[in-house]
Amino acid sequence: MITKDVIDTFIDKIPPAPEALKKTISLLNAGELTQAAKVAESDLALKSYLKNIVNKPIYGFKNEVSDISQIFGILGLSESKKTVYNYMISLLSPSEWKLFQLNQKSFNELQAQLSKKWSIILDFLNINDKDIDSSISLLPSSIIVSDALFSNKIDDVKLLRSTKAIDYNTILNRLCGVDLFDICEKISIKWEMSDKVAHIIQASSGVKPAKDKDINLLGKWMHLLLFYELSKAQFVEAGLNDFIDFQVEYVSEIYEEFSTLMEVS
Amino acid sequence: MRPVVKDGIGVFSPQGFLDGNSGMSFMTGEDLKYLKNLSIDMLLVSLKNVIFFNHNGLDTFVKLFEDIRKDNHAMVGFCDYDTNKFNAIQNFYPDEMNFSLFKSLDIAYLFSSSFKESNKNILVYSHDKSQRSMIAIELHDNGHNPTLIDNQSDYNNKKDEPSFDYTVDSTFIGQMGQKIASKVSGNAIIYTITSFLDADINDKFNNEYHTNSLNVGFRLFIFESSKVISMNVPALNFFSKLSSSAAEYNATICFVGLKFDKTPIAFKENLEDSGILFYDNMEDILENKELLEELGASSAANIKNKRVINKKTVAELPRFVDATVATIEMMTNSKAQKESVEIKDIVVGDTEGKIASSIGYYGDMDGMVILVFPKEIAKQACELLIGESTDDMELILDTLAELGNIVAGKIKTMLSEDDIKVNITLPRTYQSIESLLEVIDGRKGVQVDLSFNNDEFLFFLTR
Repeated sequence: MITKDVIDTFIDKIPPAPEALKKTISLLNAGELTQAAKVAESDLALKSYLKNIVNKPIYGFKNEVSDISQIFGILGLSESKKTVYNYMISLLSPSEWKLFQLNQKSFNELQAQLSKKWSIILDFLNINDKDIDSSISLLPSSIIVSDALFSNKIDDVKLLRSTKAIDYNTILNRLCGVDLFDICEKISIKWEMSDKVAHIIQASSGVKPAKDKDINLLGKWMHLLLFYELSKAQFVEAGLNDFIDFQVEYVSEIYEEFSTLMEVS
Repeated sequence: MRPVVKDGIGVFSPQGFLDGNSGMSFMTGEDLKYLKNLSIDMLLVSLKNVIFFNHNGLDTFVKLFEDIRKDNHAMVGFCDYDTNKFNAIQNFYPDEMNFSLFKSLDIAYLFSSSFKESNKNILVYSHDKSQRSMIAIELHDNGHNPTLIDNQSDYNNKKDEPSFDYTVDSTFIGQMGQKIASKVSGNAIIYTITSFLDADINDKFNNEYHTNSLNVGFRLFIFESSKVISMNVPALNFFSKLSSSAAEYNATICFVGLKFDKTPIAFKENLEDSGILFYDNMEDILENKELLEELGASSAANIKNKRVINKKTVAELPRFVDATVATIEMMTNSKAQKESVEIKDIVVGDTEGKIASSIGYYGDMDGMVILVFPKEIAKQACELLIGESTDDMELILDTLAELGNIVAGKIKTMLSEDDIKVNITLPRTYQSIESLLEVIDGRKGVQVDLSFNNDEFLFFLTR
């Protein structure tokens, strides 16, 4: 159905990060917010993406914000970097989703929700690290990878899943010995993201706890946050609720804090 | 979201957070339509991967349960929860619960008429006396041996005793499914009927299951009727009609334990005229080998369907083969090569180390697909579903049945592209080729020899 060769071809086809984006990230890493905004301004698609994201209700701005330096100024270094990474990930998303009932708008909405709430979690955990903050950007790439790899086998996969409760991550792992989060890691390497990002993403799969206690804790928060979002009607209807297995036991120790923080009732 | 259906139980597995907003989105109109067309004994929502739920979240499923219980006569409820979740559900519905609660899916299977095993020793605890009794009655009706405990500390002391196959606690029996329970005993199908029988029997009896059973070769059908109080004319007509249609397959219908103190004795004569036999005890039939042979339960051969392969079937053969090859390729992640195609009696070169599965289809076309696997290919194909390599033959055969279902589902989809509508029967598996040959009973068909990674695999299509 899906072979290792198919996965390798998929990874090979992932384009390197565009130069303008690499430069923007590099300047943001160096704390050069104004310079970064100037470079970002030259990429019209990025500019449009940033405008759309920042003006979503979740960011709570009363008036439309359209100037990139203004956007970066409002977001700050860490949030700006994360948003640029979100844009990079969205470049990988298909023009037409096949496996999941998503579109550009709903995918961007998921990115925005995850990003905003990840910031709330990191504030709560007193973590101020740009790499950790931007690691959430990579998480939705697992959804893009699922859609890309399984879109030609939708009927087969549906038949298989009507017989056995088996998620896409497990199917891929059993067929090829590689799972969705391994592929996400490859994307992070190709895009020269920090090692820390890849480790957190692997732990957030819920099935590969990290040896490092701090990374593992972040993996738990990220795994629970993902399922908090994937339990929303919009994403349940998109078919995302069971695309990977939710590991309840893995997140049980942080659940109380999470539910208080997110005001779950 | 679609439920996973296995052995007559459909299970939904929502994940994460279940509230009033998300609850409805788990079930689209199409899902609901699919669900209502399913022939299931039980519909459950697993709470295993649900970390949070509230009353509104559960309520969306409880409303759905009501529909399914009415339309499909199936038992409905939640499963896979811990004590906290069990208590929360009971607190949400303090007055009346029309649904059931099963601590795990394994426990739910004990209450399903499709459960393959019986005679299990089961320790039961519930602080509610009426629940204890209901649980015991249902388990007993399904052929198990329940032991009742009325206090928690005794239950805690006994629950680890090895003499118990299962322990049942934190379980609640709401309204039972109204379907007529059925189970397989050897080559006989046993239906359990109770109370007063009237025209409702047409809804409660699973005709599709019965037809499937005839199609796959069952020839003895026993109605365990010791708990029947009486029946009226519509019920009498139902059984007469059932017996006539069974006769076309050379099948026999028996009643066991039916009393005629409240049922008119004239009904017995009517039923006997339509070919139904009467016995006092189940053992009178099941422990009498000569009688079993006479009644047809010693052979699984299907008399009615002993027909030749026709042009329509041959025309659709490529779709059947494509569906099979695609499925096995998907399951083994290997490429298949077609070696030969021939119309003949089935020929299995070396029967040693081979297992098989069959699945029937009926509707615009009818017939039976038989797949013969070397054990190693079967194991490989099942690994995707099981997740590991296994030598447990029971598990392999069980998974092979699921694989048969996937193949048949794909055939059904492919045929529907040509506007050919078929239904599929329950899959059947064979641990030896001899038992398969007994079912085929010399019928001719199209045999396609395939090879997967140099292992021979046989596809046989017959009617």
